[in-house]
Amino acid sequence: MEPIAERGYTHWEGTLGTGRRPWRVIAGQAVRLAWKRRFFKPLFFFSLLPAVVFSGGIYISERLGDFQEMLKGADKFLTINPDYFQAYYGSSFLFFMMLMIMVGGGAGLIADDLRHNALPLYFSRPLRQRDYIGGKGAALAFFLLLLTLAPGIVFLLLKLIFSGSAKILSDFPWLPFSFLAWSVFVSAFFSLFTLLLSSLGRNRRFASILILAAYFLSDVFFGIFYAIFREPAFCLVSLQRNLRQASASFLGAKPPMEVPGIYSILILAAIMAAAVLVLRRKIRGTEVIR
Amino acid sequence: MNIELRDVRFSYGPIRALDGVTLQIGEGACGLLGPNGAGKSTLLKVLLGFLRPEAGEGLVLGHDIRKDSFGLRRVVGYMPEDDCFIPGLDAVSFTANFGELSGMPRAEAMKRAHDVLYYVGLGESRYRLLETYSAGMKQRLKLAQALVHDPKILFLDEPTANLDPQGRSEILELISDITSKKDLHVLISSHILTDIEQTCSALVILNKGRVAAQGDLASLREVRFSLYEMKVKGEKGSFLEGLRRGGCRIEETEDGLLKAYLPEEMSRRDVFRLAAAAGVQVRHFVKSRTSLEDLFARTVGVD
Repeated sequence: MEPIAERGYTHWEGTLGTGRRPWRVIAGQAVRLAWKRRFFKPLFFFSLLPAVVFSGGIYISERLGDFQEMLKGADKFLTINPDYFQAYYGSSFLFFMMLMIMVGGGAGLIADDLRHNALPLYFSRPLRQRDYIGGKGAALAFFLLLLTLAPGIVFLLLKLIFSGSAKILSDFPWLPFSFLAWSVFVSAFFSLFTLLLSSLGRNRRFASILILAAYFLSDVFFGIFYAIFREPAFCLVSLQRNLRQASASFLGAKPPMEVPGIYSILILAAIMAAAVLVLRRKIRGTEVIR
Repeated sequence: MNIELRDVRFSYGPIRALDGVTLQIGEGACGLLGPNGAGKSTLLKVLLGFLRPEAGEGLVLGHDIRKDSFGLRRVVGYMPEDDCFIPGLDAVSFTANFGELSGMPRAEAMKRAHDVLYYVGLGESRYRLLETYSAGMKQRLKLAQALVHDPKILFLDEPTANLDPQGRSEILELISDITSKKDLHVLISSHILTDIEQTCSALVILNKGRVAAQGDLASLREVRFSLYEMKVKGEKGSFLEGLRRGGCRIEETEDGLLKAYLPEEMSRRDVFRLAAAAGVQVRHFVKSRTSLEDLFARTVGVD
């Protein structure tokens, strides 16, 4: 290490800005940190696989004659309507991959800061609590929107290009807004759900286990209750089922279970509200034990 | 005045951490001294706006601690007591991020991060991951992030905690260099008396959440008591008893040297008068410089 204070302390000539948005700095840092993690990139690109498959489906749907031999009657699945998009947005695989991205890139977002006492450093700057939470959430939402909103836009563009007409938009004019609304809703849900569980401990692994356990155990409970009582309303205890019900409602498709989709939307919204309340209590410049 | 507080109170539940703190801190380096649990860290957190005082008011460089915490945090650099870092980052990204969060443009923050990292002695290791840093390097890193936005005042909470003697002396050297700048003021919270003695010209002593003493270090030494060293011949029992009755603290070394801490109300003449009355000869009588340790012990009432 070189000798200290060799040059003496020098002042900075500039002026500190007041109109900057600190959440952007926090979001940028969190995105870069997640991207640098060892398995994150392969995981993320693997998550885009269904989007590639569904894009292929859109192409084939416009060339059914050419693929008749290959499809052998399966072409009924290639009718491009809200149910087709619901098959993408409501697929268990997509939810699972979103969850894995949250575990890989989001579990440590707050837990690491708590473990390494970084919060006082953040809050000794001109920073609001909502800047911190918003920045961390925006980083997660960025990855999730790349899995939801970006493919939705690509699907629509491909359909318009391959069909050569705007029929899809005249038949289902709400579709672009549904894509946008659902993408924002599901991204906000997963981001807040992850931040909530990340803030409950000081250990990234503990947060990862909590995220996976909350998601899968709720589905196991649904499976048990549904097997015993055969009552579809038990889907409301499962995060995954609620997400599927809600996605169908947003896209104007038929929900998988015979329960109004609005119930699932309300449950997911309640979880988001609870997450915001807990985060507001947990995220402070200093820990106050009274 | 850089910092002015009036009757600031703060409690952690039933425990009163700050009990009517009123103080004025001027320019230069000021030490915030007190035993563990005296309220030093709490006071720094109140000054930064992390904790909202239950009562009282305060200004830091003209910024109200209750109403203008944003303005205040632009001019303050804070070095916390605990190890603080963000795993996965190198020192340049870490320091530049906090510069940006303070309001610096990204490119400027990056440039300044390099400068301050060189200044604190981390230039060679600035691209290493922070989790690989030693305790001394983490301490320097905390100082770098506190300096990156060129604050007007630095709050340093136990800056030499967990450091070996070499690391401690290097950090103190840095702090002394910083305080040599007339326009950068430093408030150092510590319970290590020699650190304060080495770097500060003013002092606030906190004890049980109250200000026990404050002011210029040199005058505090003078005002509170005077230390004399003396050697006496004869039966000194009644002489020492007389001194103690007058409020004087006496320490005797192995070689028979007496150290007498005279209270403000007792003069040198009183000492000789008591000696004459007890029939002892004063053979050696020298005014000695009181150490901060003496001042501290007297102020907070410990040996």
